Amino acid sequence: MLRVHMSVTAIRQLIGVKTVQCASVCRSVACLHRAGGGVRWKSSYKQAPLLTATPVRGLIDEQISIKGRFLRPHCPVTVCAQMHSEDGDLWEAFAHYNTKADGTIDLTRDHSVGGTYLGCEPMGLFWGLQPAPGAREGLRLRKKNVETPFVVLMSLLEGHVSPSEGQSTELAAVTTERWYMAPGVRRIDIRQDGLVGTLFLPPGPGPFPAMLDLWGMGGGLVEYRSALFASRGYASLSLAYIGHKELPGPQNKLNVDDLYFKSAYHFLQDHDQVCGDRVGIIGLSFGVFLTLRLATQSGLKPSCVICINGPIGSTISLPGGRSVSFEERNSKYWTYNDQGHVSFKDISLPANISPESKVKLEFLASPLMCIVGEDDLSTSNIENADVIEETLRNVGKSHLLTRLSYPGAGHLIEPPYTPNSRASLWSVKPKKLITLWGGQLAPHAAAQEDAWKKILDFMESHLRQ
Amino acid sequence: MDKTQYCMKLSVQPSRGLVDEKFTILVQYAPPGFRLTIHALHKSDDGHSWEAFAHYTTSATGTVNVSEDPSLGGTYSGVEQMGLLWSLRPVPGSSPALRLRKVNVQTPMEVTISVYQGHQTEGFMDQVQLAGTVVERWYMAPGVRRVPITEGGLTATLFLPSGPGPFPGLLDLWGGAGKLVEYRAALLASHGIASLALDYLTPKITMETGKMVTNDYFETAYRVLEQHPQIIGSRIAMFGLSLGTSMTLKMAAYSKVMKLRCVVCVGASHVQPVVGSVQELLDYSQKNAGKTRINEDNQVIYRNLMLPIPTDPAFKVDVGRLQCPLLLVVGEDDQNWPAYEAAMDMKDMMERAGNSHLLTILLYPNAGHLIEPPYSPHTRFGAFRTVNTREKVVALWGGEMVAHSRAQEDAWRKTLVFLREHLYSTNPGAASFSTNNQGNN
Repeated sequence: MLRVHMSVTAIRQLIGVKTVQCASVCRSVACLHRAGGGVRWKSSYKQAPLLTATPVRGLIDEQISIKGRFLRPHCPVTVCAQMHSEDGDLWEAFAHYNTKADGTIDLTRDHSVGGTYLGCEPMGLFWGLQPAPGAREGLRLRKKNVETPFVVLMSLLEGHVSPSEGQSTELAAVTTERWYMAPGVRRIDIRQDGLVGTLFLPPGPGPFPAMLDLWGMGGGLVEYRSALFASRGYASLSLAYIGHKELPGPQNKLNVDDLYFKSAYHFLQDHDQVCGDRVGIIGLSFGVFLTLRLATQSGLKPSCVICINGPIGSTISLPGGRSVSFEERNSKYWTYNDQGHVSFKDISLPANISPESKVKLEFLASPLMCIVGEDDLSTSNIENADVIEETLRNVGKSHLLTRLSYPGAGHLIEPPYTPNSRASLWSVKPKKLITLWGGQLAPHAAAQEDAWKKILDFMESHLRQ
Repeated sequence: MDKTQYCMKLSVQPSRGLVDEKFTILVQYAPPGFRLTIHALHKSDDGHSWEAFAHYTTSATGTVNVSEDPSLGGTYSGVEQMGLLWSLRPVPGSSPALRLRKVNVQTPMEVTISVYQGHQTEGFMDQVQLAGTVVERWYMAPGVRRVPITEGGLTATLFLPSGPGPFPGLLDLWGGAGKLVEYRAALLASHGIASLALDYLTPKITMETGKMVTNDYFETAYRVLEQHPQIIGSRIAMFGLSLGTSMTLKMAAYSKVMKLRCVVCVGASHVQPVVGSVQELLDYSQKNAGKTRINEDNQVIYRNLMLPIPTDPAFKVDVGRLQCPLLLVVGEDDQNWPAYEAAMDMKDMMERAGNSHLLTILLYPNAGHLIEPPYSPHTRFGAFRTVNTREKVVALWGGEMVAHSRAQEDAWRKTLVFLREHLYSTNPGAASFSTNNQGNN
């Protein structure tokens, strides 16, 4: 219960201590006003500082320019980003800056001297987001509903502080929205011919070049990369193949076969809003195996193929044979670190892959971009990329291959300016397992930024020209 | 053009922007030397369709960049990055004398940008586009809160910037058509200024009693701002346009309650009975109604109502009394109010009183009366119904489209610099409008 005679300082500290979303702070302030019947707010800061972000509504892969002005010159300030994930977890990042002689800071120009990142990193507050202290273990930030944005509150605090310490005075704030879908992009559920997927179409009359979008053994229907492709002018189909209740069979097993993926590819090709001769495929992790398998089928010649951190073969064969779960077949290859976190890396060592499952790379006829994070703890991506490179060289097809290798980057090379999880929850049953992905904070962020640009350029050259 | 050969790409960046932010429109992967039309279509809140279009020829690499390449014709010509917005006009067959104004500020203005083959001038709806995309233009930034205000008998809406504050405040008044016009206040809040849009001509209290509000009403509005826990009471500005400037100048010069930090007036006149309030002001206009002219297009020119500028001090606000900076935005082709003559007279008064260092005048040749936030289409004339006479006319506002659009862009940028200098910094001297100060960040 708030008492009328609470001092202004105490009130300010009370507000400062709570690291909550803007709306509830304002509600508490409004409550103060009503309860106090004339409690006046007086800022101790003589000027009213201003924090701006441009654009305030951007796509996930767009840079934001953050500036502070009307601050005291040569003074320490902290810029802080906070957001709630769809599951309600608080993620935050912060950086320490010193204002210039003109009382400004500009994150596109200035260097952070402490906090989540150091140096000049205009987007560091986004890719540096981490679960706030006290958060649940093993979190990974992924957007399920791509039709709404991530709402990130940027605030400017006095001094060099850590937001969770709670002793900070907030000088200014601005709310930003980060979108996976541009205005006019259409999201369409696809449940036909046995397919489980989501199609994203760009605005406009079409037809459009298109991408088939494949993810890894984590399963489900992952839409956000496709939504971004559509925002960049490409029709894109996210396809579920494991771990989805609308797919046949038990969710922890791979119950679809080659025909399923071919069917998805043809669905795209034949769609009246797609240029049938301009279809590419992208895969991450196990999706790489599926991508290469599809790309080397006879009769299929995708305009381009993009593979991120994945194997050229599998320990699980596509049915046809007895369908087994990932755990059943692979657990003998799992390794554990001191904290009991599991690495799946050895599963995809070329020596451990069944020879029959190895993709016939010699039949590749499409340009291939192969992206490798050198700190990948989940797949033996380097060894597999070496096999790809060597095989193509042996059949005189080196010219098809573009290989990008990123030191310090982990397994989850995703669209830029989104945080990486070095490890995250893999399963809850039969027991709680946290798996290692790898990736060092800044190098992984740099890899995502560079890889995304190169992916889009690669798509432009092969799907548009 | 064989569509399978080329996969044209149309992009607009940013796809979601504030209404005063610029965007870049890019066409790529078209054939080289290809003639095309870029078209903009917008459906307003009141259901009317507006369009703009421009003719381009792609470069040797099959590209058009609207920020760098000249339009060869259409609703604008030359290199005009934002031309597709400010040259929007009602589609053929629309009612005459429309004005584009956003009523619901909580939703964005949606504009469909399309590419058509060839240099077209009409019949866009019957043709197949080559490419199209949608752009959102927002008056409200994320986190800005819209709060209806009814306390003290006010009819008003407060827009609070995102964050805990405290924020500088601003009282926003529009002109003679009345109603509660929210979009400028919403936009100012998106720039960090807590802004109160005030209906002072048609508020609930006037509609119910039939009586116009008095000066207390404005002072009540000021107090709402001053006492708000998230607003800095010592940093409150006032912004008026047209009839709103009359009340703004009156309160700034004479109110004992209002201690304004700075004042902005667009299309202003200080000519009015010094004694009294809204009713007296309207009566004064009514008395001079005989001076209105009608031109050959049947458009009403009101500017002479207040001319010649009186010498009798009972009929003009004594701006020599002002103690805070005043920014006057003047369209030299203002056909509705004698903004130029009034500005010159105010300058004269302030020079004689010794406070002219507080005055900044922005003069825009060929701009009209309604100098609004940028990139909105220019209205040279429009349907107008005065509050007192209830007569429906077509008023001539003035201004030529290109000059007026440039004026809107320049005036808004300088207005934001002016407001920020006086509401945010510790040392508000004369605002500096150099290009180092980017008003629209």
